[in-house]
Amino acid sequence: MTTVTLQNLQKSFGDVVAVNSIDLEIEDGEFLVVVGPSGCGKSTTLRLLAGLEPTTDGRIEMGNRDVTGVEPKNRNVAMVFQNYALYPHMTGRRNITFGMKSSGDFSDAEIESRVEDAAETLDIEDLLDRKPEAMSGGERQRVALGRAIVRDPDVFLMDEPLSNLDAKLRIQMRAELARLHSALETTTVYVTHDQTEAMTLGERVVVMNDGQIMQVDEPQVLYDFPANRFVAEFIGDPAMNMIPVDIENGHAVHDAFTLPLPSGDDSPSTERNGAGDTRISDARHAILGIRPEDFRLSDVQTDDGLPTIDAEVNVREPLGDSLLLHCSIGATACNIQAEPRTEVHAGDTVSVTYDPARLHLFEDKTGEAFYHSGLHLPSDEQVVSQVSK
Amino acid sequence: MSTREIFDSRIESGLLLLPTLLVSIVFLYYPTALAVRTSFFDSSFGQVDEFVGMENYVTLLADSGYHSSLLLSILFAAVVVAGVISVSLYLTFLIHEVDTGQGLYLISVIWPYALPPAVGALVFLFIAHPTLGVLTGPVEALGIDVDWFNNGPQAFVVVALAAIWKQIGYNVIFMIAAMNNIPDTLTETAELDGVSGIRRLLSVYVPIMTPTLFFLVIINTIYAFFGTFAFVDLLTSGGPSNATNILIFDLYQEGFSFFNFGVASTKSVVLFLVVGVLMLVQFRVTEEYSYYGG
Ligand SMILES: Nc1ncnc2c1ncn2[C@@H]1O[C@H](COP(=O)(O)OP(=O)(O)O)[C@@H](O)[C@H]1O
Ligand SMILES: [Mg+2]
Repeated sequence: MTTVTLQNLQKSFGDVVAVNSIDLEIEDGEFLVVVGPSGCGKSTTLRLLAGLEPTTDGRIEMGNRDVTGVEPKNRNVAMVFQNYALYPHMTGRRNITFGMKSSGDFSDAEIESRVEDAAETLDIEDLLDRKPEAMSGGERQRVALGRAIVRDPDVFLMDEPLSNLDAKLRIQMRAELARLHSALETTTVYVTHDQTEAMTLGERVVVMNDGQIMQVDEPQVLYDFPANRFVAEFIGDPAMNMIPVDIENGHAVHDAFTLPLPSGDDSPSTERNGAGDTRISDARHAILGIRPEDFRLSDVQTDDGLPTIDAEVNVREPLGDSLLLHCSIGATACNIQAEPRTEVHAGDTVSVTYDPARLHLFEDKTGEAFYHSGLHLPSDEQVVSQVSK
Repeated sequence: MSTREIFDSRIESGLLLLPTLLVSIVFLYYPTALAVRTSFFDSSFGQVDEFVGMENYVTLLADSGYHSSLLLSILFAAVVVAGVISVSLYLTFLIHEVDTGQGLYLISVIWPYALPPAVGALVFLFIAHPTLGVLTGPVEALGIDVDWFNNGPQAFVVVALAAIWKQIGYNVIFMIAAMNNIPDTLTETAELDGVSGIRRLLSVYVPIMTPTLFFLVIINTIYAFFGTFAFVDLLTSGGPSNATNILIFDLYQEGFSFFNFGVASTKSVVLFLVVGVLMLVQFRVTEEYSYYGG
C-alpha cells in the first residue's frame, strides 16, 4: 500500500515561491498526472516527493510513513527524467544494474533475473549491450524506464519523460506507459506541460498554476466542469473562449447577443445550478466560457429557437479534421470550430449558435466558476459513475 | 562549408599572421634549432664551437649520474602527475558537492596557481621549513623527524608536494568545469539509487570527465618535467646528494653553472625527446580509453 499524502507542502527558492501550500492525496496504484504551464512548480513538487529538494514547510507521507526529511535513497522511489539521465559511458544493461549493484541491496542472481524481466516487459533486450549514444530517444527512454522498474519502487516519479520525443513516438510511448502502468499498478506521479498527455494518461489530473493546485479531477470532469478560468483555458485545445458578459435575469448579455442561461431545475443540485440560483438571476458582470467546438454554424435549420450570434471571420485555419475560425463577436475575439471543408472565408460574417448544455460562467475578478449549464456537477455521484465507465 | 575563406588575399592573412610567426621563430623555433645544433658541438665561453658529432650523446649514454637523474625525473613526474590528478579530483568533488560558498572554496584552492613559481616555492618553504615551517610542528607530532635539508627521500617528497600544491589550482579549474557540465539528473539518479558519493565520483564522473583528465595528464606531465625548476632551485638545489636533481635542474646546472653549453644542449634535446615519447604514449592511451560525448 503506497498512498502518498502531501500536507501544506511548500517550497521557496529565496523570494520565489515554487510550491505554495499543496494538499494532495495520491491513492495506492493511481496514475496521477500533474499538468500546468512551465514554471508553475510541477518539477519542484516532484523533486520534493523524491527528496531531491528539502521542503520549506509541510509534510510528505508515503504509505503512512512520514518521509519529509528522509534521504532520497530511503524513500524507495524511482524517477524518470525528460533527458533520460542515462549514464553515457555505460551499456543499457549496466545503466539498469548500476544503481542496484552499488546500493548492495540485491544479489547478483536477483539483479540478473529482474533485468531479464524488465527487458522483456519493455522489449529492450537488444538494447542491453548498446551504449546510449547508439540508441534513439525512444529507446533511451525505454532503458531509463527499465532502470526505474527493476528496483520495484513504491512510487514512480516521471518528469516530462516524453517531452524530448517527436510527436509520433510520443503518442506511441504514451500508450506504452499506460500499458506498463496497468501491468505494474505502481503508484505513479507523472508531470507534463502537455494537456493532451495529461488527459490521455491520467486517472486523475492535477492542474497547477503559480505553485498552487487549481483543480484535481478525472480528465473528463476537468474538461466539462473546470473549477476556474485557468483550468478552463488550460485544458482543451483550442482553448475555451472567454467572453465578458452581464448577467441579467438568467440571461447573459453581450453587445452582440443576449442568450438565456438554461434553468437547472431538474438538476439534483439546484443550489449550484440553474435559474433558481441567485448567482445567475442577480445582475452582475461575469465571464462566459464557451469552447470552440460548442459553437455551431447555424445555416442548417435544426436549431430549436436558440438565439443566433453574428461573428465576423478574421482568419480561417483548416486543421484537416475541422476548420478553426478566428472570429470577432462584437469586440470580443472568439474561436469557432466548424465542420471541415465549410465554405467560409476571411471577411465573411457567419451566424452561429451554441450548445446550451455547455456554457460556463466565471467570476469576473477571481475567475472562479460559479455556473455550468450542463446538468451534472462533478460532485454528483451519478457523474462519477458515468465517467469511470 | 569545410574550408573557411575569410580573407580575400593571401597577403592580407599572411600579414596578420606575421607577428605571431615572428615571435615564434625568434623565440621558439630558432632557439630550438640552435639547441639541436649545439648538442653536436663542444661549446663554452671563450672558445670557438667545435663540432664533435655524437660525442656528447655518447658521454650521456655512459654517465651513470645522468641515468639516475633521468630515472629520478620519471619517478618525480609520475608522483607529481598522480598526486596532482588525484588530489585535484578529490578537492573538485568536494567543491562540487557543497551547496553554498563554492566560489570561496574555489578561490582558496586556486590561489597557489596564481603565484609565480619562485614566489610559490618561497611560500612553500615557509610551510615546510625543517625548523620554521608552519606544518613542520604538526608533522613532527606524528613522529616523523622533519629533516629534508639532509634527508634525500624527504627532500624528494617535499619538492614533489610543493609541485603538486602549486598545480592543483590549474587542474581544479578544468575539472570543476567538466564536473559541473555533467547533467544534475545523473547525480540525482545515483542519489535515488543509493550510490555512495565516492562510487559516484569514480564510476560516473571520472569516466565522463576522461577527455579533460587526459588533457590534464599531458599538461601535468609537461609541468612536472619543465615547470618545476623553481622548486628544486629554491628548496633543495638538486640536493641533498642529487636526491632532487631532476633533468631540468641538471641541464640548467650543466649549462649555467658549468658552462658546458654543448652537453647542456644535448641534455635538453634528450629531455625533449623523453617528454615527446611520453606524450605520444599518452595520446595513444587517450584514444583508447577516452569517452567523448554522445
Ligand atoms: N533550484 C532552483 N533555484 C531557484 N529557483 C528555482 C529552482 N528550481 C526551480 N525554481 C523556480 O521555481 C519555479 C518552479 O519551477 P519548476 O518546478 O521547475 O517548474 P515546472 O517544472 O513546472 O516548469 C520557477 O519559477 C523556477 O524558476
Ligand atoms: Mg519542469
